[in-house]
Amino acid sequence: MLRARDLRHRYGGRVVLDVPDFTLTPGTVTALVGPNGSGKSTMLRILAGVEPSDEGTLELDGRPVRTPAERRAMRRAVTLVEQHPLLFDMTVAANLRDAVHLHGEAGAGAHARIAEVLDAVGAGPLADRRARTLSGGETQRVAIARGLLLAPRVLLLDEPLSAADRVARDALGGVLDRLRAAGTTVCFSSHQLEDAYRWSTRLFSLVEGRIDGVTPENLFRVDLPPGRGSRTVQAGPLALTVVTERHGPAIVAIPPDDILVSRKPIASSARNQFAGRVSAIAEDGRGRIRLVVDAGTDLVVRITPAALAELGLQIGSPVVLSVKAMAVRVF
Amino acid sequence: MFADGLRRALTLILRGDPEVLGIAALSLRVALVATALACLVGIPVGFLLGTTRFRGRRTALTVLNTMLAFPTVLVGLLVWLLLARSGPLGEAGLLYTWWAIVLAEVLLAAPIAGALTAAAVQGVDPRVRRTALTLGASPFRVHWVVAREARFALFASVVVAFGRVLAEVGAAMIVGGNIRHHTRTLTTAVALATSQGDFALAIALGLVLLALALTVNVLLHLLQGRGDAPGT
Repeated sequence: MLRARDLRHRYGGRVVLDVPDFTLTPGTVTALVGPNGSGKSTMLRILAGVEPSDEGTLELDGRPVRTPAERRAMRRAVTLVEQHPLLFDMTVAANLRDAVHLHGEAGAGAHARIAEVLDAVGAGPLADRRARTLSGGETQRVAIARGLLLAPRVLLLDEPLSAADRVARDALGGVLDRLRAAGTTVCFSSHQLEDAYRWSTRLFSLVEGRIDGVTPENLFRVDLPPGRGSRTVQAGPLALTVVTERHGPAIVAIPPDDILVSRKPIASSARNQFAGRVSAIAEDGRGRIRLVVDAGTDLVVRITPAALAELGLQIGSPVVLSVKAMAVRVF
Repeated sequence: MFADGLRRALTLILRGDPEVLGIAALSLRVALVATALACLVGIPVGFLLGTTRFRGRRTALTVLNTMLAFPTVLVGLLVWLLLARSGPLGEAGLLYTWWAIVLAEVLLAAPIAGALTAAAVQGVDPRVRRTALTLGASPFRVHWVVAREARFALFASVVVAFGRVLAEVGAAMIVGGNIRHHTRTLTTAVALATSQGDFALAIALGLVLLALALTVNVLLHLLQGRGDAPGT
């Protein structure tokens, strides 16, 4: 529904975005993950139509957005909540009423939903506060409520979890689940891979202005037994030792960079060792080698070309993978 | 001499001297009309220069800022040449009417309103415009939101423009001619009374001038206070 084609954007002569094709599919929650300064905010502002790109076109529902009228129609359908959002100098409730007024067509029921959207982000008690006396996290939550109030078809959130405490995180998680259920398209940026894994249905990395699909590699759905600290869970065919305070259903991920590859079992502190055979060897486009090892299930491992040469690995080579329990991420 | 002048001045004011009241009324009328017209022209131009990017914008801003330093007598001379019977607008017969003073004052005050407005909206947080855009506001409402954010500075530009107009003497003298009951404003009357040695009248008119400035500024301040909390 919202698609960007051949986007290029420069700041001071330096290309900060270079995105040939990027589509936000209806009803999905897309995460853009990347370090600070990788172009996430610029990308979202361009997608929201509040900053023009130097080159490229945006398409809404398959039609290019070119004229001022089309751009405004797109901005009505797409709402951006910035990382450091701005609220106007009035009360929180007045800010939300003002947003309905500015939007013009937010629907007759919008005013009646003010309390509802504030409650949804846990900001109900803030309704009568002066907006500019709020903390960063509170401001962010109120701005998200303001975005929800306009019921956009696409909601763009720039680092929505950056200033959030635990309560805010849970509230936002609930909001994202409801938006997804309601068919709203959501795209959020984060510099935390954990947040991206936890809340998104699609994941892209944005590094130095370029977008890559991130295959959620080495992910397993598990049921964590009650207890604390180090536990062993069944991750598909693998018995995996993890360290976590959580219990119940969860997702565990073994980061491909945190897996040690050896030809023979090694004596080490790593709690997890799996024997397998190399089933694929490829370059990952960033000068590293992506190995796929069949250890009962496919595990993706990234190593350096030097390590590949030293180990003399080929398709079919038997290898042992070692992973520290602490390196396994639990979502 | 000052104390004596002050005492007689207060008597003139308290007695409601018709001469003093007439001059004050004309001054106020000229100042209000000229300020309104100057803001009507200057604020939109300043807004445009402060918010949009186009070729020649920097040059336009430089010209505008230079116009702030225009000598008032020079503006008076230009308007006189314009309105003189042989001038391009001589037919209108406006020279030595209070409209001639208004025209000269608009030329002096519009650049003030324009330059201060441009500075005010340039100082607005860029997120204000982006926020209005992403909330789906129409172009007009986007401008309105920016102006709302800069409202204190915009009020200041109106106040400064009004002050300039009310206190101006050179242009008013040249194009108005300081004609009694017609184009004699507070400032031109003070100048005349001083040159005639009538210090009591000069002081009285000076005090009225200050009182007018104070009253209008207090009113604007109250208005600004009410605009302090939009939508609450």
